[in-house]
Amino acid sequence: MAASLLAADRPILSRSFRFHRPRGLMCSTGGCGWCECEVDGVPSVRSCRVPVREGLVARGEHAWPSVERDLLSLVGLASRWIPPTFYHHRFLRPRGLRKRYLDVLRWFGGRGRLGLGDRMPVRGRPARRVATDVLIVGAGRAGLMAALGAAESGARVVLIEADREVGGGWRVETGTDRGPGTAAELAARATAAGVDVLAGVTAVGWYEGMVAAIGDDVHLEIRARAVVAATGSYERVPLAPGADRPGVIAARTVTTLIERYGILPGRRALLVGAGQELATAAERLGRAGSTVVGPVPTASLVSIRGRRRVSGAITRHGRKRERHAVDLVVFADRSPNLDLVMAAGAAVEMRGGTLTPVSDVSGRTTVASLFVAGSAAGRPIVGVGEADVAREAGRAAAVHATGEVAEPEIADPRSPSATETGHRHQVPHVPRGAMVCFCEDVRAWEIGAERTAGYQDPELIKRRTGALTGPCQGKYCLQSFSCLVGAAAIPTARPPLRPVRLGDLVASDPEEGA
Amino acid sequence: MDRSRAGSLLDGGEPPRTADVVIVGAGIGGLAFARELAARGVRDVVIVERGYPGSGATGRNVARIRAMQLTEDLTQVARACQSKYERMGEELGFNVLFYRLGYAWVLYDADEVERMRSIVEMHHRIGVASRLLSPDDTLRRLPILRGGEPVAGAVLNDDAIVHHDAVVWAHLEHLAGTGVRILPGTEVRAIVRGERGVEAVETDRGRIETRAVLNAAGGWSSELNAMAGVSAPNRPLRREVLVTAPLRRSIEAAVTFYRPNEGWFNQTLRGEIVMGVVDPDEAPGVGQRSSWDFLRRTATIMTRKAPALADVAVIRQWGGMYDISPDHHPLVGPTRQLDGWLQANGWSGRGMLLAPYLTELLAERFVTGATPERLAAFDPDRFAPGEATETSGDYYARYAGRTD
Repeated sequence: MAASLLAADRPILSRSFRFHRPRGLMCSTGGCGWCECEVDGVPSVRSCRVPVREGLVARGEHAWPSVERDLLSLVGLASRWIPPTFYHHRFLRPRGLRKRYLDVLRWFGGRGRLGLGDRMPVRGRPARRVATDVLIVGAGRAGLMAALGAAESGARVVLIEADREVGGGWRVETGTDRGPGTAAELAARATAAGVDVLAGVTAVGWYEGMVAAIGDDVHLEIRARAVVAATGSYERVPLAPGADRPGVIAARTVTTLIERYGILPGRRALLVGAGQELATAAERLGRAGSTVVGPVPTASLVSIRGRRRVSGAITRHGRKRERHAVDLVVFADRSPNLDLVMAAGAAVEMRGGTLTPVSDVSGRTTVASLFVAGSAAGRPIVGVGEADVAREAGRAAAVHATGEVAEPEIADPRSPSATETGHRHQVPHVPRGAMVCFCEDVRAWEIGAERTAGYQDPELIKRRTGALTGPCQGKYCLQSFSCLVGAAAIPTARPPLRPVRLGDLVASDPEEGA
Repeated sequence: MDRSRAGSLLDGGEPPRTADVVIVGAGIGGLAFARELAARGVRDVVIVERGYPGSGATGRNVARIRAMQLTEDLTQVARACQSKYERMGEELGFNVLFYRLGYAWVLYDADEVERMRSIVEMHHRIGVASRLLSPDDTLRRLPILRGGEPVAGAVLNDDAIVHHDAVVWAHLEHLAGTGVRILPGTEVRAIVRGERGVEAVETDRGRIETRAVLNAAGGWSSELNAMAGVSAPNRPLRREVLVTAPLRRSIEAAVTFYRPNEGWFNQTLRGEIVMGVVDPDEAPGVGQRSSWDFLRRTATIMTRKAPALADVAVIRQWGGMYDISPDHHPLVGPTRQLDGWLQANGWSGRGMLLAPYLTELLAERFVTGATPERLAAFDPDRFAPGEATETSGDYYARYAGRTD
């Protein structure tokens, strides 16, 4: 649906919570929420995950009169004077108007409409308990390789994948040589090796070692002796003011749009970053007739211009500033998906400017039963070598699950002994004006202001600014947030791992949930 | 008040060697008591906090400021508490977002309606204008319940919500100008008792000599009492909350139902819906974990009562603790078991509401030595030795012993 809107030249899909900034298709994996619309009466649906069909009714949300032209975005003109703490010393007088002020605030808040009409009774789901040796979460390259590795080692293996088909980020990189066969081939090998491959099953949370997951008509409560998080990575939006505009799109999304839907997202594109995914996107753009500029290093991006969508970008090389007239900015930086790792309470550390799980060579984290593989481990698979490492993580998980072998403990860098010996890592610079938290429109300077005022504890900064508390729950801001507050101290992660409709959580036997 | 210094209150400098009063816990109880002491000239006060201010139940509750209660004494006190909140913004120069959203006990049993009649009469007798709504009026006020389990009625009152974090920050800014100190990230290791009573608080960052200690440790109050050799019947009980993505305003009252299950929901000023359904089998104990069962239980019961809620997206869940006393009324005041040991705990799920006002009375008691009349009901020593706290069973039964 999001792609069709883009094809129909409707790049603005939603408006941001505080300043009504225009947002469009960015990640296309249901992660960022920039494409949320009301679909057939259901509020805040991620339109990138909705197949278009005849008769579908979609509405923009949180905008007046429309998301295309939203007069409420005028609030953004005053955004300098509206930090998240703006109400602290305001709206107290006159006393008689206090409730009115808050009524106005209430009116500005909220996003979707809750439909109160008649509806079908909710269909509950039974809870199915699954016991296994190894659970692999994510059936991208790393997950499939880890599953093979674990099955080869004689373990009972369950592999769950949120998408309907296996492959993960792999599916969009057609035509590149990634080693040991296609996703489908690997999945077939895994199934042959005895792996229980469950597609369309989404992990919802880590509850003291039990992984809860939701399938079409079932709740799974998976108890595994070892879990491998092969959950891939999230897009890392460039830290330049304006990078949340429609027209700043992840390389994978650009490739998918051209390859799968035949939609050209821009005529002149600036490439930001490096790597195979960017090269693939550039090649597809070039072939489809777009002019391609760059690539430029991510750090050289100064700002992205445009009102309703990208109209230009400014880069800096040494002292030289350059303005590019482009209508598309394609970026390829990604960072590990830490959702499961943080939910389990495993340690993360700043490595090469990126928050990464602390793990040994076989992917073992500081939580004994949790392993990481592939991009989720900070080891994206770009060839056969990395694929073997992911397979090794599966083997190590199998050994942990089935064996009696004494295993080395992984030092937790948060423990006092580790801090003494630990060395400081390079932390990327975050420009003042950069949008850090997209759900709540929190800018870097607002987090800086809290620290200057003495609120150093990341939990307090989170509460005071709202950063990390929006619908994405930190998926897209944790990296830059941690750069700003000190990487070692990150607020506690809370379940669920991603937004879940209340109706999808209903238990089938009423007494079961009661 | 000094806004720029509010955060630097938390800089965690060296703990002092002595203090007139040490408060354990920088939740609403500890912060409000510090404010009231400072207002009465007691400024050599240190708050010892294991986490950060508001990191316990204060930052985990949903801050409903409800005057209507099930018993007369509690309703009397709750009214005073609510008006204290109504004034708090102006008094502290900080908007705590006090908002009269309305509050409804939604009823599903005919016998519950009967029971509520006498409670509404009690409310009217003491000047709380609650109303018993017919089933139709209930659905008019709360269309979200349409199509759900048939309601038997509701008791509605013009009660309020506040922003719990704003309440914490308002107190921090206020305290920054008073000389009160806060030590976040500091854990109490031991309480030193002497012949004359409390002598010192031993923390992981040093010892603070003092003659007065307030136990405002919420769910951890039992552990702290044990360190001091003081016995109190409180038991911590874990509760859970979930919150949804923000929606346009659509629920015009905070809802609670006690029967046939105990649960609640309301919409915040930002539009998020917070909700929870209690696990009747939850065993007492210290813990703040989140559970999968809670999600399923809450989803199942909420969608049965308010089917429209099926469409809302849950984005976060968390756990926190009630500190429950046998009669579900708090323990506020000095204990005769140990000189200098003050209790402000056992809030039984009403700390946010009750603490600012009751710690004001406690400060009055501390400074003057005379017990204000309204405080007497919360005497920490009112329980018989060995009296146990029952945490499950019929909600009303917990109040049955107090028909005053």
